[in-house]
Amino acid sequence: MNVDQKSTQVSIPEEILQKWEAKGVSRRDFIKFCTATTAALALPLSFVPKVAQALEDKRPPVIWVEYQSCSGDSEAFLRANQPTAGDIILETISLEYSDVVMAASGHLAEEAKHNAMKKYAGKYVLIVEGSIPRGAGGGYCTIGGKSAVDDCKELVKNAAATICVGTCAAFGGLPAAAPNPTDAVSVMDLVPGAPIVNLPGCPVNATNLTATIVHFLTFGKLPAVDRLGRPKFAYGKRIHDNCERRSHFDAGQYAEAFGDAGHSQGWCLYKLGCKGPETFHNCPTCRYNEGVSWPVMAGHGCIGCSEPGFWDTMSPFYRRLPNVPGFGVEDTADQIGLGLAAATAVAFGAHGVVNIGRSYFGKNDSDADQE
Amino acid sequence: MAKRIAVDPITRIEGHLRIEAKLEGGKIVDAWSSSTAFRGVETILKGRDPRDAHHFTQRFCGVCTTVHSMASIRAVEDALKIEIPDNARLLRNLIMGIQNVQDHVIHFYHLHALDWVDITSALQADPKKTAQLAQSISDWPNSSVKHFEAVKARVAKFATSSSGLGPFQNAYWGHKAYKLPPEANLMAVAHYLEALEWQKEVIKIHAVLGSKNPHPQTFLVGGMSTPIHPDSQNAINADKIAYLMKLFKQAREFVEKVYIPDVLAVAPFYLDWAGIGGGVGNFLSYGDFPESGGNDVGSYYFPRGVIMGKDLANLMEMDEAKITEYVTNSWYNYAQGDDKGLHPYKGETKHNYTGPKPPYEWLDTNQKYSWVKSPRYMDQPMEVGPLARILVAYVGGNKEVKAAVDFVLKTLNAPASALFSTLGRTAARAVDCLVLAQRNETWLQQLADNMGRGIYEVHNKEKWDPSTWPKEAQGYGTHEAPRGALGHWIRIEDQKIANYQAVVPSTWNAGPRDAMGQKGPYESALIGTPIADPNKPVEILRTIHSFDPCLACAVHVMDGNGSEIIRVKAL
Amino acid sequence: MHELRYVWEWPVRLTHWFNAISIVVLSVTGYYIGDPFVSVPATSQYVMGWMRFIHFLFAYIFMLSVLSRLIWAFLGNEFASWRVFFPWATSKGRQYIVGTFLFYTFVKAKPPGVVGHNALAAMAYVGVIGLYVVQIVTGFALYGQYAPGGGWDSSLGWLLPIFGNQGLRLTHHVVMWLLIGFSIHHVYSAWLMEVKEKNGTLASIFGGYKFIDPKELQ
Repeated sequence: MNVDQKSTQVSIPEEILQKWEAKGVSRRDFIKFCTATTAALALPLSFVPKVAQALEDKRPPVIWVEYQSCSGDSEAFLRANQPTAGDIILETISLEYSDVVMAASGHLAEEAKHNAMKKYAGKYVLIVEGSIPRGAGGGYCTIGGKSAVDDCKELVKNAAATICVGTCAAFGGLPAAAPNPTDAVSVMDLVPGAPIVNLPGCPVNATNLTATIVHFLTFGKLPAVDRLGRPKFAYGKRIHDNCERRSHFDAGQYAEAFGDAGHSQGWCLYKLGCKGPETFHNCPTCRYNEGVSWPVMAGHGCIGCSEPGFWDTMSPFYRRLPNVPGFGVEDTADQIGLGLAAATAVAFGAHGVVNIGRSYFGKNDSDADQE
Repeated sequence: MAKRIAVDPITRIEGHLRIEAKLEGGKIVDAWSSSTAFRGVETILKGRDPRDAHHFTQRFCGVCTTVHSMASIRAVEDALKIEIPDNARLLRNLIMGIQNVQDHVIHFYHLHALDWVDITSALQADPKKTAQLAQSISDWPNSSVKHFEAVKARVAKFATSSSGLGPFQNAYWGHKAYKLPPEANLMAVAHYLEALEWQKEVIKIHAVLGSKNPHPQTFLVGGMSTPIHPDSQNAINADKIAYLMKLFKQAREFVEKVYIPDVLAVAPFYLDWAGIGGGVGNFLSYGDFPESGGNDVGSYYFPRGVIMGKDLANLMEMDEAKITEYVTNSWYNYAQGDDKGLHPYKGETKHNYTGPKPPYEWLDTNQKYSWVKSPRYMDQPMEVGPLARILVAYVGGNKEVKAAVDFVLKTLNAPASALFSTLGRTAARAVDCLVLAQRNETWLQQLADNMGRGIYEVHNKEKWDPSTWPKEAQGYGTHEAPRGALGHWIRIEDQKIANYQAVVPSTWNAGPRDAMGQKGPYESALIGTPIADPNKPVEILRTIHSFDPCLACAVHVMDGNGSEIIRVKAL
Repeated sequence: MHELRYVWEWPVRLTHWFNAISIVVLSVTGYYIGDPFVSVPATSQYVMGWMRFIHFLFAYIFMLSVLSRLIWAFLGNEFASWRVFFPWATSKGRQYIVGTFLFYTFVKAKPPGVVGHNALAAMAYVGVIGLYVVQIVTGFALYGQYAPGGGWDSSLGWLLPIFGNQGLRLTHHVVMWLLIGFSIHHVYSAWLMEVKEKNGTLASIFGGYKFIDPKELQ
């Protein structure tokens, strides 16, 4: 009965609301965003005003760089909602550099980056997209004639914090997939020990990115992370354990082929290779594009895109288990195992037959042996 | 006195691009296009399950997401002779259709507009006059004085804050090449912000049909994994169709009422650019959007074809066997010499970085200078992209394209030859966007009709199991991506990928010189471009951006560790 | 001639049977978890749920059983002692190894007379116990993922970044097949010894006694 009353207890100061209104953000949208962010960060609702305050006070300088990337994470950022990319760029942060968005080009762009790094040394947030190739003396990726290796090291060392968006920056991703032709590495492998938070995913879920930024603004530090540097609020649970199709899994209802009755009725995609049981991510709860959908909901299994080395460990994507090293793609572990067991049985069967034969016919042999 | 300049990085594109140019008498007399990053995805693909390939190739690019999945599954389907169900054709058309529409709008407003629009000048605009201007060109509802007042206030507040201009700092603001009046600039800024909102809304179509964007995940060799069933809450049903209808309508209305009017309103101020940036004059379109059959080339909405030497009277048939790639000026080696071109099936490549050691100031453009190869058709450089697509469709009998092009030319009072230019490229992209935005709803209707008739099939699983495949197979798949003609070539042996080659739009356009010394389309298009201020070469950006470069796509080709890619005979 | 000797003490027999039952149950349920071969029509059922529950339950039983047997290797009689599993460490043991090998390869008609494990079997059991440990470790590391930060995840979760979830899963799966292969071999060998030695090998694992001819032990 007192639900309404309770929620009004945590109110955002009037002057903050007015300021945002002046910026063209309606009260409703702003409160909605603050509440959603607080929830995404797994904070109690009493933190809503604090989140609002954080958005108000600081517009920290942010530098967004891309190396061996596909710009998918930049694009994901453009799909952000609550706040939208426009709100973030104009009102939340001061985006000093971004390949995809920025107006300047050439040396003037590099100058902006350099100036921001010097002016805000130790204060700016660095966002890295894409892995960094160490091969060919840095020749596999250069920006303004400078190698990605040098550029990244310098920027990370001067940053207050580094957010690695996407699986490439977080874990090496696609360029680092076997045989890693360019000797690509993640940021944490390039600059060990730096304050880094990894937001893997291919691409990153924009909701998790905005939540991480706001967490940093609210508390002045990065969120708590797991052993792979991933924030617990977004990567603390397996997809499988939050999956909307979990009841079908537990019951034993599985889609056997794409387009079959089970598939169109939303049964579990486990047998079609879904890697939800192997993957830590909040896709089932956050979903993508403002909560419209996510792979399992749309009918395709998870491919584990936020796990380290997923291109190698999670493929083949349409099988439950990886291929057994040294065997062909068709030989699944089960076929090999069954063959092994059968071979054992046949071998010992034959052994037994010989033994019986010898006991039956070969009394003399055994007597001779006794000597 | 010749002066050499370099623009690196070219921003507001995908990937890492560097342009070096030689100036003489205020004009570009020579130019070199170089891509400065690569990853080696084709090497990574070798030995993997061909059904997985599309997940990998899709990551060629996150801006033109979907397109490499499309080309990849078509290549595998071609190799294995798989026919896809009609619903899969429609689902693919819808996903590709909205991809083109959304991508073109993002390109125009967020990647290209700032070359023509001076944001700082918008602060001098009178919102009342801006509203008059907006209302005179379109009946788009967001055209009130109040709306433009709010936008101006928001931008002013941002521009005057102590944090500075952020991503808009250090640009070429105030450059005399910016010619729009303040009111047009303010209107464009308003639409820049509106388009930012719009694009994230309409691309929810990808979320509904493909699970997410970027990088939708429902593509499958043999069809799609998006279930269709009117009686299931976990499939495309009437509810989802209604939602899609709303989004497609929203997409079309913005293109009709904002994008097209804006292009037509801005173009008259820049008509000189209808004579600049022409380029190679050869155009290639693979054609796309099958209207019947699984992937029947004859039924393509955008027809397939080749135009050589700007000769619109002679539309030639496209023969993929005539495609070759050169590495004469790219950081790769061919075993039989770098002066020969190889067909993608023979895709024998070995990376070898011989460029300057970073940090460097200049590339040595007398030698190899790019990670992009130089594809050629009949040994000629070809331009691909919306302009090529629209030209081929214009002479190839697409009525909607013809009407739209004629309308644009008539409105701007320009001859057809004006299309071969920087401005023409930008206008063709708008036409492409418009006809697709209008066509999408037809395909959605067809999908709904299929559902009504009880046709729910989305995937042909006949050859899903690799044990049904031949020991060896090869095939190619093409697609008309937003940025143009895209082709993937695959060779399958023992159920694994033996060789994979992708020749993508930005490879065609951004490639360096070939063995014969012929410049690539970017390089050609830059010749003759006037540069008012060598320190602020906004003119280079205009022409390069008119191609909508996508370098992550273009650079993926290589063979790691010196291992030899298996060589096969072209069929 | 033959005398009745108490060979397998009750903890050995008990852990043997717990292991045997666990392996059967874990293999059947584990195989189902990896490849659910039964599909059911309604969510009112709970087939996978039960399979997993039984799998986890027997995982604990198996782990405790293996652990008990390892402890007993230090407490039990000479036949249960950890020493018998390393016959190659003594010269007598090495003779037994050769003798048993010659018997298995049909060179000799009779194996060397021993009371407890034959030398080759004992060596094989070291490998098998190794596989048990691999199964227990990989299994509980995978199991622990349901509760990051929980006991299993804290103690074994470090394996995940090293071998990868899928690597552990594949290992867990392949070792299952190796253990099934071992089981076939084990039952056959026991039967063979029963036939050849006529010493009550098969019965001994139930009752603990074997019929031993002291002369053959020389």
